[in-house]
Parts: sequence; structure tokens; C-alpha cells
Amino acid sequence: MKPFSFSKSDKVSKALSAKKEAVQFLAGGTNLVDLMKKNIAVPDGLIDISAVLSDKVEAQTVNTRIGAMVRNSALATDPQILAKNPLVAKAVLAGASPQIRNMASTAGNLLQRTRCPYFYETSTPCNKRNPGSGCSALHGEQRMSAIIGYNDACVAVHPSDLCIALAALSASVNVTDKGNKQLVIPFKDFHKLPESTPELDNHLPKDAIITSVDIPDNPFNKHFAYLKLRDRDSYAFALVSVAAALELEGNRIKDARLASGGVAHKPWRWQKAEQYLKGKEANAATFSAAAAMVADEVKPLPGNGFKKVMLMGAIETALQNCLTA
Amino acid sequence: MGLFNAKNKAAAVLKGRVEGIAKVTGAGKYAAEYRVDNMCHAVFAGSTIAAGTIKSIYLENAKQVEGVLAIITHLNKPGVPGFTTEAKIKDTRAGLPLFHTDKVYFRNQPIAMVVANTLEEATYAASLIEVTYEEDKATVDFKKAHPTVPLSLQGRERGSLDAWSSAPVVVDQEYDIAAEVHNPMEMHATIAHWTAADKLVLYDKTQGVVNVQRTISKIFEIPTENIEVFSEFVGGGFGSGLRVWTNAVGAVMAAKQVDRPVKLMLTRPQMFSLTGYRPAAWQRVKLGADKEGKFLGIHHQGKNGTSAFEPFQEGLTTITRMIYNFDNLKAEQSIVPLNLGTPTWMRGPGDCTGAFAVECAIDELSYQLNMDPVALRLKNFAITHDPENKKPYSSNFIDECITKGAEMIDWKQRKQQPGAITEGDWKVGYGVAVGMWGAGRGNASAGISMEKDGTMTVKTAMTDIGTGTGTAMQNMTHTFTGMPKDKIKIELGHSTLPTAGSQGGSTGMSSISGAVSAVCEVLKKQLAAYAAAINPAYKDAKPGDVLLSATGVSLKSDNNEFVSLADIWQKNNLTTIAVKASSGPGAERQQYAFCCSTAHFAKVRVNTKTGKVKVERAVCVADGGTIVNEKPAANQISGAIVGGIGMALMEEIHPDDKLGNLVGNDLAGYHFAVNADAPMIEVAFINKPDPYVNPSGAKGLGEVGIIGCAPAIANAIYNATGKRLRDLPITPDKVLI
Ligand SMILES: Cc1cc2nc3c(=O)[nH]c(=O)nc-3n(C[C@H](O)[C@H](O)[C@H](O)COP(=O)(O)OP(=O)(O)OC[C@H]3O[C@@H](n4cnc5c(N)ncnc54)[C@H](O)[C@@H]3O)c2cc1C
Ligand code: SF4
Repeated sequence: MKPFSFSKSDKVSKALSAKKEAVQFLAGGTNLVDLMKKNIAVPDGLIDISAVLSDKVEAQTVNTRIGAMVRNSALATDPQILAKNPLVAKAVLAGASPQIRNMASTAGNLLQRTRCPYFYETSTPCNKRNPGSGCSALHGEQRMSAIIGYNDACVAVHPSDLCIALAALSASVNVTDKGNKQLVIPFKDFHKLPESTPELDNHLPKDAIITSVDIPDNPFNKHFAYLKLRDRDSYAFALVSVAAALELEGNRIKDARLASGGVAHKPWRWQKAEQYLKGKEANAATFSAAAAMVADEVKPLPGNGFKKVMLMGAIETALQNCLTA
Repeated sequence: MGLFNAKNKAAAVLKGRVEGIAKVTGAGKYAAEYRVDNMCHAVFAGSTIAAGTIKSIYLENAKQVEGVLAIITHLNKPGVPGFTTEAKIKDTRAGLPLFHTDKVYFRNQPIAMVVANTLEEATYAASLIEVTYEEDKATVDFKKAHPTVPLSLQGRERGSLDAWSSAPVVVDQEYDIAAEVHNPMEMHATIAHWTAADKLVLYDKTQGVVNVQRTISKIFEIPTENIEVFSEFVGGGFGSGLRVWTNAVGAVMAAKQVDRPVKLMLTRPQMFSLTGYRPAAWQRVKLGADKEGKFLGIHHQGKNGTSAFEPFQEGLTTITRMIYNFDNLKAEQSIVPLNLGTPTWMRGPGDCTGAFAVECAIDELSYQLNMDPVALRLKNFAITHDPENKKPYSSNFIDECITKGAEMIDWKQRKQQPGAITEGDWKVGYGVAVGMWGAGRGNASAGISMEKDGTMTVKTAMTDIGTGTGTAMQNMTHTFTGMPKDKIKIELGHSTLPTAGSQGGSTGMSSISGAVSAVCEVLKKQLAAYAAAINPAYKDAKPGDVLLSATGVSLKSDNNEFVSLADIWQKNNLTTIAVKASSGPGAERQQYAFCCSTAHFAKVRVNTKTGKVKVERAVCVADGGTIVNEKPAANQISGAIVGGIGMALMEEIHPDDKLGNLVGNDLAGYHFAVNADAPMIEVAFINKPDPYVNPSGAKGLGEVGIIGCAPAIANAIYNATGKRLRDLPITPDKVLI
């Protein structure tokens, strides 16, 4: 690891004024420190921001506010989250391990970097790690790669579970930029597709800090499911995951949310399928038609054709599980 | 280094592992945890190509890093005598002649080593080394490479292929398995300390201190007795500790160069390339039977990957000769050189891979015959005699294993028709397979020193790699002498203790039990001789008649003839009694064949929508002879089954065909089974002593627990779905498509 300076900040404004391109914020460190050990992130300095940001979940008039420093483990067991947004708790618990969740922060989870195996192997070309060097995954191992929204520059996926639930629930991200201006970024616009800048995972302004995440109050706390398919039952990233939630009137679907992880460079909302589900009867035929619509949208790479079939099965199963949850 | 069970004091603890408290409190020291004064650190820089020649190495930036003491490459290395000729390299069994070649054989091959005051400095400096290469085309993909490699006859052919060319029922299929990595928790690490110009102390992660002594002695040409090796606590091995790897060789070189003790611990990604793995294999099995299910013949072909600089052949077809009566048998094998590190033995080596092909082929045959696969196996087992050498088995209870296992899993619930049990989106199926492993025994020595207060320390150089060797030694000493367990201390894993072979190949228990039995006899004889000076009844006492207690000795006789230890010590003017004995296999090996066996049963659920396979129940009945201590024995088997689930469903490491790097070479990218993947594991033992193997009657259990586990799961998946998957691991994508 490259030698670096370390400081601890006690105020957002101070943290922001100390922030520079080569100086990074440190929250739980579960991703950043790994990247530093592998010489993928090589900051000159770290600013520990764990004391400057809220670690509370607060009910507000029309939403629930999650402080940027709320640890994943605390989020998954918070009574308000469990009552109002249990889908979030389910998604968090599907990720990482208890030890990692104890350290991992909410903001850090949003900003965690891809798990594309080539991104981690510094001796291989990778546009995300080393812009312009090429994409090893494009002609390599694609088991963990995207099936939608990718381009030749990068076929990686966003690895978070929490973010899939947040995307499904139309959350928004509260940010303070370098000039101390406060911004609200809707979740769907927070992460980005690779475009011509695969080195950037999101639209967080340069040197800005995330202060909290808001989830608007919603009717999706009764019929919901988070299904994560992976190569082992714990401590593995998703091959595909599905966050599904239904608002039901009797047996009729009033509103629906459907999002997936493991499929794209950002958490992916299946809006066409959501529209289709609205007003339909909640039954196996409806669910399989929704899954088929999703399958129509995806374009697997040569090495991950299975993901299309798997995703269809996962969507049907997740929607079905909404009825029993 | 202290007593293995020094921390176990409370009475309650005596029920568990003798080293349990030391392990859970962190008091037990693993190789990298020793502190040696003035120690510094070495770190390898690895090659970034998989094949070629090093053209230049630029060290200037690395040298600038604070704390760097030396950087060793093939251009400036201190010469190592064992690496000077091809013949010597072969003789040392070191494998890679570290820093004695400009050739690159695989990616991550160590091409430079930084020695620095701290680990951080060494690691950082290693990242600054710049290398240029002349790159050659690398071959890393086993599946692409093997078809062009010819097979050759492996072992004697029994009967002929022609004899069953018109067999009415034939299975002829190919089976593949991906490479797997041992991944013990503890990294391979060595601390090397030259205490004089030709004297070396090593703290090493190994399964055998004597093997380390011998190998390092050959490589550096110093006498074995000048090399002291500590390996008291070992954080798992699964076979990766049966060789001496570059971490040991590098640490010794570095320590010489900087004239200070040096620690070299591999990183997890380096563990994937530098400490062996179970090689990828291809197999083809052709199996014939008559209409009643009697096996007529088998033709078993197999190839496994190896490195480009060293041959390693798996015993893929060994198991084919063991379990069943095949009058006609032909085996062929070959190895496929690849630009990867050298593979090595991994739990159940060879047999585990071989059994996957043979046991699946037998399952396929059972469906063709429409016959229960348990009945089919029972019909064809070779129970009384080893079918290869015709020697009588000393004991063989594989038939009892399979019968008992079938009862435990309620085999009656299984449907012969695949895909017959459906629960919502899930299909349910049952599978069976068996495993066998030759019950070996090696030479081993043990010593006992005894104090006046009855405290005994039982000693051996053998390591305990988590298998419970120390606990078994305490149990056996208690059984053989009668001394209460809390008086029995254990010392092991150190080369100055009575010599013993490596803990591997399931021979540890078998070998050490003979030595412990022998040394207990010697001790009892000795005590009887001392007691005879007080009580003449002891004059001609046989060791078997002498019993120890915490306070004295007695004779198996009407009035016990008790003599106190205090009197014995006083009368004979004793301080410590020290005895030693060796034991090993003998003539029984000529007369009998020895085996241990398992029957594995699995009940699986397969989700037709998501491809998810869930092992719902795993049942294993094992014949390991006498079970010296049931807890660690059952622990061996259940751990092996978790390994078997990994082999069946998720474990694989494969290189990128173009770049040659191992994709996902860390514990997040490489999936072995975790608790969530493990079902209810039900283990039972036959627990009958083997009459000839050794004095304890215990046969080994380390390997046989995993052999047959993966095919039982693959067979259950077929029974559940009607889909025959012949390519391990069976990940959800293969189930779906
Ligand atoms: C082995 C392993 C398995 C895992 N498995 C999963 C999984 O299955 N599913 C899953 O979702 N996740 C998984 N994770 C990822 C884990 O969730 C993330 O590492 C964690 O959420 C990151 O949070 P952190 O607080 O530790 O971030 P850090 O590592 O501290 O920071 C990550 C990045 O965010 C930046 N940052 C942090 N806070 C702020 C802020 N407030 N404002 C601006 N920038 C900020 C940092 O500068 C850094 O660039 C796994 C991680 C590991 C190591
Ligand atoms: S997919 Fe993206 S992260 Fe992976 S190698 Fe290509 S550019 Fe790098």
C-alpha cells in the first residue's frame, strides 16, 4: 500500500475543505481499504468522516431519512426501517457478512466499486481502473458481467444489494458539494451507465459528500421480496438479484416495483414490467408475463446467456414470494 | 512453543480438544505469529505474464522505499546449492527453482523478493518493481489443451476389453471437474532464522516438520539435524502443507542475505498460485454389465492438468481398482502441462476425482437397468478380497456402510423415476455414492517423560492440522496406561521431538497410534522394573498387566500390589523417567489389504426456476476401524462433506484463457461452501476395530469422508430433475440451461 496521511474530521465543512482529488473520505473502510491494499485506490490522504455524519434513522413528514454513517447492520435491524421499509432490511441482510455489515456505512455502500474480477487484478487491462487500457471482461470471464446497459468500454455491474432496494423504493441521495451547497439526487440518477467514462460509477459531484439517503413513505411494506441468486448461500455477490414489491387491493395489483442487481452498471428498474403489472391480477400468469417482458429487454454477453433465464425465474419467484411474505 | 494442551486446565475442558483453549484464546501460535528478535519481512513480487522470459527488472523506485534492506531477483540472488543443476532441482523436490531462472512458467510466479524492516515497506516496494518480458504463448485452459494429449496405460490391465464388448448394458460418458484450491484459513508462512552459518530455525506452516527438514536440507545442503522446525499449531492444510513451497525457500534465502530472521507470509491471491491445488481433470468411463446388473468390465481414462515445469499425476484411476469386482479393467491416464503453478494433493487426492466419474457412471447404469443403485452396488462390491491383488481385506464394511446409510436417509422415500417428486417450484431427489481409501500406516515414534507426581508428557514430531491428533494421543495414552487424562500432557509439531512422518494421506492416526501404544508398553515395563525393587510381584510382570493411576502402579491381580509413585521415585532415586519407542507397519502388510470406506447419501432440492440446488440432508456412514474419539472423528467427516458440497456445487478456479490470470483469486471470488450451504449432516460409524492395521484398530478418516460425496449430490440432482450433469461444479447456470 502506498504511504498516505490520515486525519479525522469533526465537521462536514471541515471535511469538505480538506477534500481534494487525491484525498479520500473514509467511512467503514471495508471497500476503500481493500482497494488501497491492492493498489487500485492510491490516495495520498484519508479523512475519516465517521464522526461528522449522522448515524441515525429518522422519520420525517413524508419520508425516512437514513444518515450516511448508519451502519448496514444497524439499518437492517432498525425498528422504523423494519416497519416502513422492510425491503431495505432484507436487501442489506443478503449482502456481505455480519462482520462487514457492522463496519459498512450507508454512503459507503452506495459508493462501493464493482466486483468485476479484472478490476481487482491490476496486471490486466481495465477501463474502469485505468481508463483507455481496454476491457478484459469484454472477451474474458463474464459470469459476473452485465446483461443490459453495457457498452464495449465496460461490462461490469454494480455490486450492491442495498441499492437495489433503494432504487425500487425511489429513494434520493442528499449531498453537500465542495462549495457547501446541498443537492438532492434522485436514486435513479445517482449511479450511471459506463458511457465513455467507465471510470466513473455515479454522478456524485467531484469532492462532494453524501450526508443522508431519503426513502419516501410508500405502501410497499406488506408485499415485498428480495431474492438474491448466487453461487453460495451467503458471502457472495449476486449473479442476479431482484427487489420486488406490490401494493395489492384484494387480489389486484395497484402498484408495483421491480428492480435488479447483478445485471447492469447501476441498480436497474424494470419500469415496463412495473407498468404492465399495475391493475393486473396477482397470479403466476401475470408474473411470468412480467418476467418475459424483462427478458425481452436484456442482451446477455456471450459468456452469461444463462442470466436471462435465471433472471426470469428470479422475477417470477420474487413476485410470487411477495404474496407469501 | 509449549505444551499443546497447556491451557486446558478446567475439568470441563478435558472433554474437548486438548488444544481447544489455546486455539480459541489465541494463545496457540501459528507459524507467522512467532516473534523473533530483530525480525524483518520479505514479500514476493509476481510475474504479470503466464509464459515467457524476463527481459529486464527495474528496481530503482523500489530501492528508494524507506526500510528496504535487499531486493533479490534471478540476477543477483545468493546462489542456492540445490538449484545448480536440473538433477539437483529434481532431487530436492522443491519444484520451482526460485530466482534461479529467467523463465516465467505461470502468472504470479515470484520473480523478485523485497526484504524490508516492516511488512508495509516490503509490500509497497514490491509494488514499485517494474519488469519487462518477452512473452510466449501461454496455455492455461485445460479443456482446450487436453484433447491433443495422448493417453497411456496406467497399471496392469485386468482381463480384456474384448471380453465384454457385447455387454447388454453399457454406459460410456465423459466427466469433467474444474480445478479447486485448498484455501486453508492460515496462509502459508515461514519465519527463517539462521542461528549459525549452517544452523537454521524455521517456524513453518506445514503438515510435516520432518519433510521440511529434509527438503530444506537438500536445497541448502546443510545437515538435517542442523535444521529445527516448529509447526505446533496448523490452521488447516487439506494437503497444501505436504510440500515445501516457495515461502519457505524464499524466507531462508532472504534471512541469509540480510543476516537477520525473516518472515515471509503469502497473500491470499498468492496462495492460489503458489501452494498447489486440485487440478482440473477430464475422465471417460465405459462401464458394462449383464442384464442382472453384474459388472462385466470398466474402461477408465483420465487426464489432469499439471504445471509447465513439473509433472504431477493424480491417481484418478486408483479407486477404480478397489471397490468393485471388475474381471475386466483397463485404465489409461496422462497429464496436461499448463502455464499454472504445480498442483498437489488435496483432500482425497485422485480418488475424489476418480470416484466422481465412476460413481456417476454406476448411477447412470442403474437407471438403464432400472435397478436401485444401492442394490446394484451391493451386488458388485468386493468385500472379502482386494480385487487388484487378491489379498484378503483386514476388514471391509462398505456393505454395512451403504445399508446403514440407506436406512438413515430413509431411502425408501426415493423414487426410481427421475423428477417424480415435486414441491412447488422445487424438485426433490436422492442420490448415493461410495468412497474408499487405502488404510495406510507409516513409521512413527513417540516419547513419554514422567514426573514423580504422575504427570506424563507424550511427545511426537507429528503435527496436528486440526484433525485431533493431540486429543487422540491423550485418549490412547489414557486407554493404554490407565493414567487419568488430566495428568497427560501433549507436545507435538517440533522436529526435535521423536520423529514421525507428515500428517497426510489419512495415515496420521494409524501411524501415531502404533507409536503411542509402543511407548506406553515401554513405560509400563520400565515402571514395573522400578516397582520390582519394592515389590517382587512386579519382577516378571507383562506390560499388559501393569496399570497406572495418578498416584501409583498396580498389577492386574487379586490384591493389586499397589506401589506408589513416590516410593518408586525414592527407592530408585529418580528425577524424570524418559522413554521412547517407534512403531511401523510389518508383515501384516504382505498378508492383507487395508481400506477405509464411506457411503454417502444426499437429499437435494432443485429449483426449476432459478437453478438453485439445496442439499437438504447429507448422510455419511464411515468405516474407519475403531473410533478413538468420536467428536473429532465426526468433525473430520462433516468437514469433508462441506468440502464435498463445495466440490459438487461451487468450487472452481480457472485462468483467463487470454491473460492467464486466475479469475477471482480471493475468498470473495472463490466460493467454497459456508454454513448457509451446509445441510443437516448426519454421520455414523461402523466402529469395529481392524484386527491387523495397528494396535488401536483405528484406520484413517481424513480423506475418505470427501470421496464419494460430490457424486452422491450429482446423482441426487439427476434423481430430482432427470438432468445428468457431468461437469463439476454444478452451478445454477448448468442446472438451468
Ligand atoms: C468480502 C466482501 C463481501 C461483500 N459482499 C457484499 C454483498 O454481497 N452485497 C453488498 O451490497 N455489499 C457487499 N460488500 C460491500 C460492502 O457493502 C461495502 O464494502 C460497504 O458497504 C462499503 O461501506 P464502507 O462504509 O466500508 O465504505 P468505505 O470503504 O469506507 O468507502 C467506500 C467509498 O465511499 C466513499 N465514501 C464513504 N462515505 C462517503 C460519504 N459519506 N460521502 C462521500 N463519499 C463517501 C469513500 O471515499 C470510498 O471511496 C462486500 C464487501 C466485502 C469486503
Ligand atoms: S468490465 Fe469494466 S471493470 Fe471489468 S474489466 Fe472491463 S472495464 Fe474493467
